[in-house]
Amino acid sequence: MSKNSEFDQVNDFDVLVIGGGIAGEESSLKLADMGFRVLLIEKEPSIGGKMILLSKVFPTLDCAACITTPKVSETARHPNITLLTLTEAESMFKETNGQFSVTLKKKPRYVTEKDCTGCQECESVCPAIVEDQFQFNLVARKAVYIPFNIANPRIALIDIENCMLCGLCEQKCPSNCIDFSQAEEIIKVKVKAVIVATGFNLFDPALIPRYGFGRFKNVITSMQMERELAPTRPFNSILRPSDGKTPDNIAYIFCTGSRDQTCGTSICSQVCCMYSTKQAQLLMGALPMADLTMYYINIRAFGKGYNEFYLQAKDMGANYVKGKIAKVTEKENGNLILRYEDIATGKVTEREHDLVVLSVGLLANPSITSIFKNEKLEIDASNFIGQPDLLKSPAHTSIAGVFAAGTATAPMDIPDSIMSAGAAAAEASGYLKLKS
Amino acid sequence: MKKKIGVYVCHCGGNISDYVDIEKVKEAVKDEANVFLLKNTLFACSDSSQTEIADDIKTSDLDAIVVASCSAKLHVPTFRAVATRAGLNPYNYVQVNIREQSSWAHSDNAAGATEKAILLVKAGIARASQSQALLPMKLTATNAAVVIGGGIGGMRSAISLADMGTEVYLIEKEASLGGHIANWGELFPTNFTGKELIESLHAEIKKRSGIKVFTNAELIEKKGTIGNFDIRVKVNKEVLPLHVGAFIINTGFDSYLPSEGEYRFGELSNVITLPQFKNLIDTSEKELIYNGRKIKKVAYIYCVGSRQEEEGENKYCSRYCCSAVIHASIQAKKKFKDITNLHFNGGIRTYGKQELLYEQSSKAGDIYLQFSLDSVPVIKQKGNTTCVKVNDILSAGKMIEAEADLIVLVTGMVPRKNDQLINHLRIPVGRDKFFNEIHMKLRPVETVIDGVFIAGTCQSPKNTLETINSSMAAAAKASSILSKGEISLEPTLAMINPSACTICEKCFAACPFEAIEEIEYENRRVAKILVENCKGCGMCTPVCPKDAIDLKGFTTVQIESMIDALSES
Repeated sequence: MSKNSEFDQVNDFDVLVIGGGIAGEESSLKLADMGFRVLLIEKEPSIGGKMILLSKVFPTLDCAACITTPKVSETARHPNITLLTLTEAESMFKETNGQFSVTLKKKPRYVTEKDCTGCQECESVCPAIVEDQFQFNLVARKAVYIPFNIANPRIALIDIENCMLCGLCEQKCPSNCIDFSQAEEIIKVKVKAVIVATGFNLFDPALIPRYGFGRFKNVITSMQMERELAPTRPFNSILRPSDGKTPDNIAYIFCTGSRDQTCGTSICSQVCCMYSTKQAQLLMGALPMADLTMYYINIRAFGKGYNEFYLQAKDMGANYVKGKIAKVTEKENGNLILRYEDIATGKVTEREHDLVVLSVGLLANPSITSIFKNEKLEIDASNFIGQPDLLKSPAHTSIAGVFAAGTATAPMDIPDSIMSAGAAAAEASGYLKLKS
Repeated sequence: MKKKIGVYVCHCGGNISDYVDIEKVKEAVKDEANVFLLKNTLFACSDSSQTEIADDIKTSDLDAIVVASCSAKLHVPTFRAVATRAGLNPYNYVQVNIREQSSWAHSDNAAGATEKAILLVKAGIARASQSQALLPMKLTATNAAVVIGGGIGGMRSAISLADMGTEVYLIEKEASLGGHIANWGELFPTNFTGKELIESLHAEIKKRSGIKVFTNAELIEKKGTIGNFDIRVKVNKEVLPLHVGAFIINTGFDSYLPSEGEYRFGELSNVITLPQFKNLIDTSEKELIYNGRKIKKVAYIYCVGSRQEEEGENKYCSRYCCSAVIHASIQAKKKFKDITNLHFNGGIRTYGKQELLYEQSSKAGDIYLQFSLDSVPVIKQKGNTTCVKVNDILSAGKMIEAEADLIVLVTGMVPRKNDQLINHLRIPVGRDKFFNEIHMKLRPVETVIDGVFIAGTCQSPKNTLETINSSMAAAAKASSILSKGEISLEPTLAMINPSACTICEKCFAACPFEAIEEIEYENRRVAKILVENCKGCGMCTPVCPKDAIDLKGFTTVQIESMIDALSES
């Protein structure tokens, strides 16, 4: 059996950071800068989380890729940070001395990490074509693939589920790094503190059948639109899926999977109003002739510069309509009829659009709680990591020495995630100083 | 003169290449003097491109590199690090901005954008040809920080700093710590009061010998630079000199005070502000009585002093008030019998988990009426009764009039008047008059002034949780810099050739950082740069009539060669 990591027996670190999104990276960098040795694990093949996949960010309209890549690169190169991708924590025991014994599971990449140059020759010969999860299924990728262009590490992996084991990649690879003999690796580490930065899950809009997602081709999610607008976009222009036409009458349905008890989420997702408003501004730039209609309940433009950004979108011509969508139906030509109560007139109204974007919400990702074996990591009523000392030490969890950062604790935007991650780093650092 | 320059032209996904013809740029600059290697790259900043550049420097033995991509503000540290890793002095790298300055500025004119990009790249190559290796100056850093503002945020910053091993001076201008929150009742979503929270933080502060608290204190002087600030603090009537490595500014907010007559404030005795109402709830027993009158119907008018429409007014949303007032209205209903709450709002913004408050209040029967910000409610007094009149969006714009015993103006946060502090520290202030961070998304607690961090509501309106997070994040940032014990300063500083200087004093007047002093040189007086104060801004170089001043990294020779390249066409 060949191995991809350089771990042998038991390995000691000061802090284990679980999750390599923007929050996990920020916590890792702060702690590493203070001289602590950090092990950062990420279950995906690349770090960068959700942010690296976004187009531009509100309200500055900075290109997300441009501002994330330096942070990602700094994380990957920091001498005090050890990074493991395709790795999940499987179990964690708190010892009597306060240390955590952690068992990690690293999935095989089937590509030797240190030898792959990212040349993509393997991709060119692979005959297996699969939906590309990093483009949110808008286009396809190969079974051997580089996750996305600005991935870190930018090396290939084999999606073994979809691989036909034809061996073409192995023959083609100029650096001989395809290795089908790799197996799952179990890595044992000991750490003094843990930061949970496991992020959020996106709401699956198929759970609201009346919006027609999955049945009607021209109903897409905001994350798919995010990809269509990104610099590394799949089509190089804005298209609707059914026939590849450029849409000219686009509707946004806000609060899809948020503030909606029928799908189990009472809370507001905090970012959707703003990212939808941002997408509207970008779309008005990309498609100057297109109409944008934004169906909302309340606009939550609360952060620094956000209200001004919302007013700017309105001034640019986005039409904000207060009303909840009751039903979406599809016409033969792929257009969609939206039925809603128009609050401004009090009347039930129907309107036709050629593309519908669902502003999907942020859900808790509580699966991490199951790894804690002898202590319980509590969650709150909304399934986010519980914060028992919310207003004094928000990064504290129910377990001493385990801290939480970013959207693992609540829905929040990028600056709030950065600040929460900074707070977790401060808390972990203070905790480690006290222990030493 | 550099002879082997590597030039990298970036597509920035499509940010640049959608408008600038990258191939044309390459074609136009390939024969420039000293260009040894020329490549295009999809994202120059991506890890794989960084590796490629570093490998090129090593294998081709490049003596300078030019990266033509985005603003220097974004990626200079990235590519300097690439150069350093590959063994090239980072000051032999030149950044050229063909995104903000070409593709984005001229997206309506692709040919023009390309032409401008070509000239900018040529100028960059010319500058790189004349570049020189520079070494950063290393100074020892003091692992101590001063926190200005002893509200909840400042107290939390202080505790975190102390726990991370940084010494703290906590300065509060009032007689006691705690700020606004010390006077507040129960805090959502916890069961304890503002007073209790402040008391428990105060107890934590007392436990830590690394925190020195000064009340009735204010900053009166600041000198020096990150790692080594010499400051003077006036405590009561005494002046105290302190030596610190960083500042955390946590000066908080002021509550908006309605102007006379705004929603009849000051005219009708039963029109009060949200802070007054919160205080009334906390201090009343059994019955809610105001001005001798029993209160049953309370009307809340939202967005007072926030989201204003007129030029010069507060255009921003104050973020905390929707949740704060709904929480207060729930408290009122819980504590006193027969309370009816009428919420005249501009669209409820109980974001995130605070939505649960809105849900709870709606379920308890509170009435919500919504106005448009360009048609706000009107308050009318008829005999003994006060009425609120509004065009209610939620009932198709119908005019609704409701009586109320008490009108609560939901006032937002406004920035404090901090003129003196701004003057001492030169912290940039935004259009909304709150302090501005260096980068809103990724560096929210840092400012353009090295070593000066901002946290809490002096940066923008925030609730308690957000204030705590930002205060701890600022502490983490400050500590991560100071705990190293050493600070590197930019070597791109001005220098004065003493033999040419005639001490005309023009540069003294031009320098905004008091970075020029007079010294003795060969028996005469000459000007000299104080390196620890110089920021390399370049204000002094053009005013010198003797051309005695040069700016390292931007020398006169470099600038002239760039002008030559730009005027070639």
